[in-house]
Amino acid sequence: MDNKRKMSNEIIEGIFEALYLIVTLNPEIWSVIEVSFRVSLISTFLAALVSLPIGSFIGLREFRGKRFLSNLINTFMGFPPVVMGLIVFLLLSTGGIFGSLGLLYSTSAMIIAQFLLAVPIIIGTGKAAIESVDPALKETVLSLGANERQLWWELIKHSKKSIIAGFLVAFGQAISEVGAVMIVGGNIRWATRTFTTSIVLHTRMGEFGMAIALGIILVSIAFILNYGLTRLQGGDK
Amino acid sequence: MSERRALKTIISEHKAAFLIIFILVLGGFFGTFFILDLLSARNPNRIILATTTSTYDSGLLDYLLPEFTQKTGIEVSILSVGTGQALVYGENGDVDVILVHSRSREDAFVNDIDGQTPFGINRACVMYNDFIIVGDENNPAELLQNDNITTVMTKLKFSIDAGNTTFYSRGDGSGTYSKEISLWSFIGVTPDIEWFGEPDKYTETGQGMAATLQMTYQDANNQGYTLIDRGTWLTFNDTYTILQILAESVVGEDNLLNPYGVIPVNLELHPQVKYNSVLRFVGFLTSDYGQNLINTYTKNGETLFHAAFGICNSTHNCPTTEKEISFWTIYQQEFT
Repeated sequence: MDNKRKMSNEIIEGIFEALYLIVTLNPEIWSVIEVSFRVSLISTFLAALVSLPIGSFIGLREFRGKRFLSNLINTFMGFPPVVMGLIVFLLLSTGGIFGSLGLLYSTSAMIIAQFLLAVPIIIGTGKAAIESVDPALKETVLSLGANERQLWWELIKHSKKSIIAGFLVAFGQAISEVGAVMIVGGNIRWATRTFTTSIVLHTRMGEFGMAIALGIILVSIAFILNYGLTRLQGGDK
Repeated sequence: MSERRALKTIISEHKAAFLIIFILVLGGFFGTFFILDLLSARNPNRIILATTTSTYDSGLLDYLLPEFTQKTGIEVSILSVGTGQALVYGENGDVDVILVHSRSREDAFVNDIDGQTPFGINRACVMYNDFIIVGDENNPAELLQNDNITTVMTKLKFSIDAGNTTFYSRGDGSGTYSKEISLWSFIGVTPDIEWFGEPDKYTETGQGMAATLQMTYQDANNQGYTLIDRGTWLTFNDTYTILQILAESVVGEDNLLNPYGVIPVNLELHPQVKYNSVLRFVGFLTSDYGQNLINTYTKNGETLFHAAFGICNSTHNCPTTEKEISFWTIYQQEFT
């Protein structure tokens, strides 16, 4: 009857099993690592390419409706990922507008969802980074006869650390997100299973070793990202 | 050394240009990856199967599908959901084929109600096992081995009402949930009304079979019961040692049999489904070769699923038709 109370033993056994799985390069773990990184890297990089020009433009210029646009971006920075998952699901589902593409339950669908989540984050942080540059610098650069393109370039240079920090935040969110990738990816083994969806599955099936192994790797990634962020912010002028 | 310095000078003079080239290269790199990804998603040799958590969690599909992929080169992606969800995915054409266990809803799926095009065609019976009720070894509801199903459900109801039993229900529109609701209806109980808003007595997990079994095991008062198919139970019974089979079919009763059917999604309704690959897949499952594989899949020496193509009849609550057998015969030949 007290077998159940051995749960703490299961955790210790789980940690040992996890170390074994990591050290022996278990193929399932590798598949999960590969899918997670592929989806998160592609989506974050493509989002950065789109968002940095937009974000720095908004940060640089003054125009009508800027305050409203800023509020909108800030709202979308905290957009609930599951809702994004639902939206992308409906768009890609056979009945949806893009249903004929046949992309539901693929890594492409996951990339699209993660891309849409990352765009506002990188726009928002990019804009804030440009705006936070000392106005005196802006005036100095302009007084030296710089045109707008040169000013933009100087501001980017001075805020590059904050921009990279924004990128890391977007990547960290992408790799640890669970709801959206579960909905549009379907958690298919060897195909669309990520760290997070795999942990959900293995926990519900009582296979704690695998769940803990993936948890250890995911937390390590989060730690490395945060370490990088702290270094960046500490060194920022 | 001077060459390197010259290069450095060039780079520092054209920083912006180099940055743009760098960004374009990165963009091209990740863009290419994305396009490759898009192409692989549309691979005609990949079909999507929506199935119940019971067939997936039991490991049966992981055992069968590599054989199929090896013989045909067709990859099968599995969406492990409940029967209800699998049927909806099939109706929407988001998957190519479904493998489920709820005969009445399968019939509705393949019948042309009011002259409308049916969602699926040519259902084939694949296998069956049976449902059992497992619970804490304390057996607070005092179920006995020879109790028939009406007695079992009555005892459970009284024990739940007395606060001595917590029943864990899938609560998710799955085939197992449909079966559970029909078992309660034998004694005139509708759980949603009987224990409305009382999760301590009747817990709806809203998750798959393995998760629900896990929750039954974790029951804080050691009084959890749940309805489960034998395949999933045999997969996990080593892990959840304090749970035991407390009720199963008694001789002459067929209420607890659990037949599984496979249904291709109708090409006429959803032209994008990979119908030819699906025909080969169902041909594989129902061929003597596939059926034999199902029969030989065991855990601890016990068979999890029994092959049933052409065998299922009304005593399994799942009659086979002549058309079913004749239609699939040609697709089975590839695998014999």
